[in-house]
Amino acid sequence: MALEQICGLNLHQHIDGFPDKSLQSMNISLLNDDPLQDSKFTLPPVAEPAEYLSQLAKRDGGPKIRFLHGTTTLGFKFEHGVIIAVDSRATAGPYIASQTVKKVIEINPYLLGTMAGGAADCSFWERVLAEQCRIYELRNKERISVAAASKLLANILYNYKGMGLSVGTMIAGWDKRGPGLYYVDSDGTRCTDRLFSVGSGSPYAYGVLDTGYKYDMTVEEAYDLGQRAIYHATHRDAYSGGVVNLYHMQETGWVKVSQTDVKDLHYRYQEEKGQA
Amino acid sequence: MTARLHSDRNQNFRRGGFSSRETSHFSLMESKSVEKIVEIDCHLGCAMSGLIADSRTLVDKARVEAQSHWFTYNEKMSVESVTQAVSNLALQFGDDDAGMVPWSSRPFGVALLVGGIDEKGPQLFHMDPSGTFIEFEAKAIGSGSEGAQSHLQEVYHKSMTLNEALKEALVVLKQIMEEKLNATNVEFDQVVREVNCCHVTRDKNFHMFSKQEIEDIITKM
Repeated sequence: MALEQICGLNLHQHIDGFPDKSLQSMNISLLNDDPLQDSKFTLPPVAEPAEYLSQLAKRDGGPKIRFLHGTTTLGFKFEHGVIIAVDSRATAGPYIASQTVKKVIEINPYLLGTMAGGAADCSFWERVLAEQCRIYELRNKERISVAAASKLLANILYNYKGMGLSVGTMIAGWDKRGPGLYYVDSDGTRCTDRLFSVGSGSPYAYGVLDTGYKYDMTVEEAYDLGQRAIYHATHRDAYSGGVVNLYHMQETGWVKVSQTDVKDLHYRYQEEKGQA
Repeated sequence: MTARLHSDRNQNFRRGGFSSRETSHFSLMESKSVEKIVEIDCHLGCAMSGLIADSRTLVDKARVEAQSHWFTYNEKMSVESVTQAVSNLALQFGDDDAGMVPWSSRPFGVALLVGGIDEKGPQLFHMDPSGTFIEFEAKAIGSGSEGAQSHLQEVYHKSMTLNEALKEALVVLKQIMEEKLNATNVEFDQVVREVNCCHVTRDKNFHMFSKQEIEDIITKM
């Protein structure tokens, strides 16, 4: 250290993500809101973090990190806003770990995010997104748009591309341009559309959604479509189940519409078929 | 010139308020662009006096710190902690010595009044360029602050209601305007044009008054 100083060298350059311990307590960096500069988000101190981390996620040999991908989440835009419907089952292989998982993340009163892939990854990074959205609001004196919020998240995730994050989320909100729905995942994909479904049960949900979707549906029809699509996915996909959590994104913010056990939906739809 | 009043418990209702006057020398000036009261978080606000540009960095630091605290602890950051975080910046100037990289070559030329409501109730901290922060029940800063402070001394009492506090703040500012302009009676519409007011309450959080609301308070006076 003394020799360093005499020679005027500054060898204390931090390796990606590990800030210098001696300066850490002072944390002079003022505008330290870039998540990747924060010591919270350190990367392994190796030359190629992506390669190193991808080995951990490999199936065969070595320590395994397996994620709970079993889920069905869906979202669609229509005339009266955005509907988000999700299941609530978490599985670890054949074991049902929980039937009461909250797969919708309430980022703020006018933005919602869904959880598919790694639960910790989704909830952590969406919380980071919530922090950034609030700072945006304070600095710019207006709410962040859905496009900008989803872009913030996509950019953050892209920095960790290939390092084993597993996030397949939909960001829904209502801004100046009306209802907004974006799909963002850990590969770096970000796209918008009227209709999305994410997770192992998504093929089944898409079948029902694509059949019944119309932009000018009524609110009740939309609620029914969302619930039905999740129900059908839970019926055929072993890794989806529990309850259907239904949210409606309106101009004034989101409301949680209902939480319905898929068992109840099963008997209700069966009766409808019987009567028809 | 900024004046700030805060009142303590009264029927278990916590509140606090700020008001400031923007000096408008120019009739063509867009007075709402002169931002001397800003929101730090929904339960915190800040008023400033001095080199306003210097305060922008401090305010941004406060905002980021408050959000970072929420992120880590899932709770609102206390008023004192926010002030503490900002005051850490105050002395980060000078030459490069002992391997510490300074933020700037000069001190921040601004004094802040950080006010908000947390678990301990409404609190107000005054911070100067040295980074020293002291809690006050009522404080005025800026030019004309001596007169304002002595007036506050007379009218302030712990069991003030929110409306009383707002009224007194506006009265103080009106008096200061009269002194400055050597006028005997400042017209109310001028007060409305030049004054900015906000308050922080438990239920309504940080709220910046609109011109209409200030007029309503004045007409009640």
